[in-house]
Amino acid sequence: MNTSPSTRLQRLRRELFASPLDGLISLLLIGGMVAVAGSLLRWMLVQAQWAVIQANTTLFAVGRYPLEQQWRLWLLTVLLALATGLSWGLLRGLPAGRARRLWPVNDRVAVALLIGLAVLGPLMLGLQPLIQLRWWLIAAALIASRWAAGRWATAIPTGLRRWIPLIWPLLYLAGMVLISGGLGLIAVPPSEWGGLLLTLLAASFAILLCFPLGILLALGRRSALPLLRWASVLYIEFIRGAPLITLLFLGQNILGFLLPGGLAPDRVWRAAWVLTFFAAAYVAEAVRSGLAALPPGQLEAARSLGLPIPQALIHVVLPQALRVALPATVGQFISLLQDTTLLSLIGLLDLLGTARTVMANPAYLGRNAEVYLVLAVLFWCCCAALGLGSRALERRLNPTTDHPAQA
Amino acid sequence: MTSTLPTAPAVMIEARGVEKWYPNGYHALRGVDLTVEQGEVVVIMGPSGSGKSTFIRTFNALEDFQKGTIVVDGMALSNDVRNIDAIRREVGMVFQQFNLFPHLTVLQNLTLAPVLVRRRPRRDVERQALDLLERVGIHEQAHKYPGQLSGGQQQRVAIARSLCMEPRIMLFDEPTSALDPEMVQEVLEVMQELARDGMTMVVVTHEVRFARRVASRVVLMADGEVVEQAPPEQFFTAPQHERSRQFLSQIG
Amino acid sequence: MGADPIQPAHAAPVTPWWRNRRLIPWLVQGVTGLVLLVVVAFLVGNLVRNLTSAGLLLSWRWLGNPAGFDIAETLLPFNAGLPYWRALAAGLVNTLRVVLAGLVGATVLGTLVGVAAFSSNGLLRRLARVYVELIRNIPLLLQLVFWYFVVFLALPGGRDAIQLPGLVLAKSGLYLFKPELINDVWQAPLRLTVEFGALLTGLVVYTAAYIAEVVRGGVASVAAGQWEAARSLGFSPLQTLQRIVLPQALRVIVPGLNSQYISLAKNSSLAVACGYTDLYSVAETTLNQTGRAVEVVLILLGAYLVIDLLISALMNGLNQLVQIRER
Repeated sequence: MNTSPSTRLQRLRRELFASPLDGLISLLLIGGMVAVAGSLLRWMLVQAQWAVIQANTTLFAVGRYPLEQQWRLWLLTVLLALATGLSWGLLRGLPAGRARRLWPVNDRVAVALLIGLAVLGPLMLGLQPLIQLRWWLIAAALIASRWAAGRWATAIPTGLRRWIPLIWPLLYLAGMVLISGGLGLIAVPPSEWGGLLLTLLAASFAILLCFPLGILLALGRRSALPLLRWASVLYIEFIRGAPLITLLFLGQNILGFLLPGGLAPDRVWRAAWVLTFFAAAYVAEAVRSGLAALPPGQLEAARSLGLPIPQALIHVVLPQALRVALPATVGQFISLLQDTTLLSLIGLLDLLGTARTVMANPAYLGRNAEVYLVLAVLFWCCCAALGLGSRALERRLNPTTDHPAQA
Repeated sequence: MTSTLPTAPAVMIEARGVEKWYPNGYHALRGVDLTVEQGEVVVIMGPSGSGKSTFIRTFNALEDFQKGTIVVDGMALSNDVRNIDAIRREVGMVFQQFNLFPHLTVLQNLTLAPVLVRRRPRRDVERQALDLLERVGIHEQAHKYPGQLSGGQQQRVAIARSLCMEPRIMLFDEPTSALDPEMVQEVLEVMQELARDGMTMVVVTHEVRFARRVASRVVLMADGEVVEQAPPEQFFTAPQHERSRQFLSQIG
Repeated sequence: MGADPIQPAHAAPVTPWWRNRRLIPWLVQGVTGLVLLVVVAFLVGNLVRNLTSAGLLLSWRWLGNPAGFDIAETLLPFNAGLPYWRALAAGLVNTLRVVLAGLVGATVLGTLVGVAAFSSNGLLRRLARVYVELIRNIPLLLQLVFWYFVVFLALPGGRDAIQLPGLVLAKSGLYLFKPELINDVWQAPLRLTVEFGALLTGLVVYTAAYIAEVVRGGVASVAAGQWEAARSLGFSPLQTLQRIVLPQALRVIVPGLNSQYISLAKNSSLAVACGYTDLYSVAETTLNQTGRAVEVVLILLGAYLVIDLLISALMNGLNQLVQIRER
């Protein structure tokens, strides 16, 4: 900050002690915060026993995934790091609208945090040196690809640029193969997936599929055709009236009856599909408000130019509606990530479920606080990151900076 | 198809006995007839609620009608989806609220339909789009977004966007009514030049000076019917119907 | 004009049915309807067949059979010999208890935090923001197990219990309205279990964060001019809030509260994690004992649907009250 110390002090005084009542509140709050922070710090450094985390990192990370096959997960993580770095770098290197800096402050902070995390994290978790090295390499790969993509983004031919977003669907497919098996790799059934792996898998599966489903439902909800509209309304209102745990319950217990011969997909897939259908109803509501915000003339203009309905939807209606619906939609994705914790209530070993089995181990009885704290921090970071990403995406998709000159 | 003798101008729009009822029972169009020949500029005027916007919107099927026939550029407006799409390719429309696509640049607004609907190669369309933008005077703004332009500029882009589809007829639904007064002129000038180049135009507007200068024919509509049609000089100086006189006195 | 009226290129053509824009909507609906019908018939057919072969065809008589399990805490008297339907009723009452208390608590806390965002005290504003951002990004279930296992189950018992004016927090429960220690055992007119306490606290803290955002959005939606006008008339900030801003803000807040209340009612089903025997928890036990999956699920869905409808009806009534009459 480039304000002089006296103005900073003045500002502090104005904000905290403007009136006697304010002053009292400030003192109480500061006192409270110091007391809480003090006892928390004391607990964390002295009383807490972090062995419960350190001894079970693999369990928390991937559940009971076979040890010999875990190299596939490492490979996937490296690919994810490279793809993330690439996308991040391209985002900065090919700015839409105003030209931006290649390394804005936020990015530098993020990289610093990343390096800090990569160095301190494995140390704090007490990981073996070989595994620590792997994490350093992964972090290095991410930063390297970010730097390279940012530097040489403009060198990529324009024709090729359109195909770049395809990396992510391809990576997803590759990830599924790596995780579950096939194409020459040994199959690892879903019952052996667990921990963070299961949480992220269920969440990403549901997020990817609930989005198009939600869009279809929203379009159906606003359709002029009565059957489509009523079917959509029925579905959406039914889902929104039911608690998620009830639907998961339904999925686990009744799905077997709905299919011939009692054959039913694995419990993990059942839960993942329930999450998808659940979130789709809420995404539909978000997209619906986006569609409602669209000026009616837009569709008319598109039709009068001769665009058939599907193309008018894809190129005119949905791009605008989705921009408006983006914050609410990402909010649903964040909720979805949080809702994966409910899988622990139906006996699946997601992150929370794994945590509870770890705490049931007599050696770690009573270590609830440590485990829950770590889990809370983990979830908070993921959700907050998603929120930040959403805001960044919003800014990028709304390049008009001036006031609209509508009469 | 062409002969050595000059042929009579083709009829671009032939509307006969068009009637429209809204779902609530309101009789919006009560048997309207209109013929528009190639190269004509027909200006439709009338009090609000007279059905003039509704009428021209039937030409490209943005409004449907229950009775009567409409033939546009030799194609009869029917329930055939292919028919309607074909007609819409030949008929361009400019709206009161511009209706530009705010998430696309000006250039992208122009090239979207020709590339997707007429399947023309993007490079050709872009070249044509830039030419059109130059014609309407917006060349430097090609890579800006509609939100960054003034109302007059946006409407000119909207005209260029319709022209990019190379239509044979242009419809204008109160193109200057939503503009601030100082921007009305720039849009009318573009429309005037379009008329001079021989485009068949049907314009719903209140701009009397424009009608006097550019129109081949002025049509007065009221209460869903055509009250009077005449060349502009005759219409404005010696209207035949009481209703026309009433209307002209109201607009001053 | 002189020229013959142009003949259309095709005189009165017959529009093929698949291109007729009047028929296409019916075609689409017909196909969709058919597909839906086929899928539903397939699923229901399998359901009936599988249920029959398992001897579990839809019936409600089993509700009269003795439950065979106990319910940890219940307002209505219950024991293992009483029928299932009474068990479910007890569970429902438990759900309603915690939902009602939760709605009140979350509204109060949420409003305070939401209004704090407009306080003149910078620290208070920032703390409110931190609270909201923290709570909203941590899963509710995690918060619930935290409150239950780390806080409430760790409460000291007997003489060491936490004693506040009118309230005692002990390992054996929460005691309100003049608690007394008799023979090392706490007694009071109103005793709540730690399970109830943990669930209530978790639900209130979580939902209050969302309600705070709704309230904040509502107050922010009131035009700045209102504040200025009130100040120029001599109102204090608190009076302005109470008399001028809040009534207008309520117009925006009430619909938002509706969805948060419904959300709280649905979230109460996570009581299982706190060991609180709500409707879902009793239903799960019932299912495990009887195997009557379809009936139990129907009861659950029906009950929560009714609760949602009641809340919505109430909020809609409230909505009518707070609407500002406009021309």
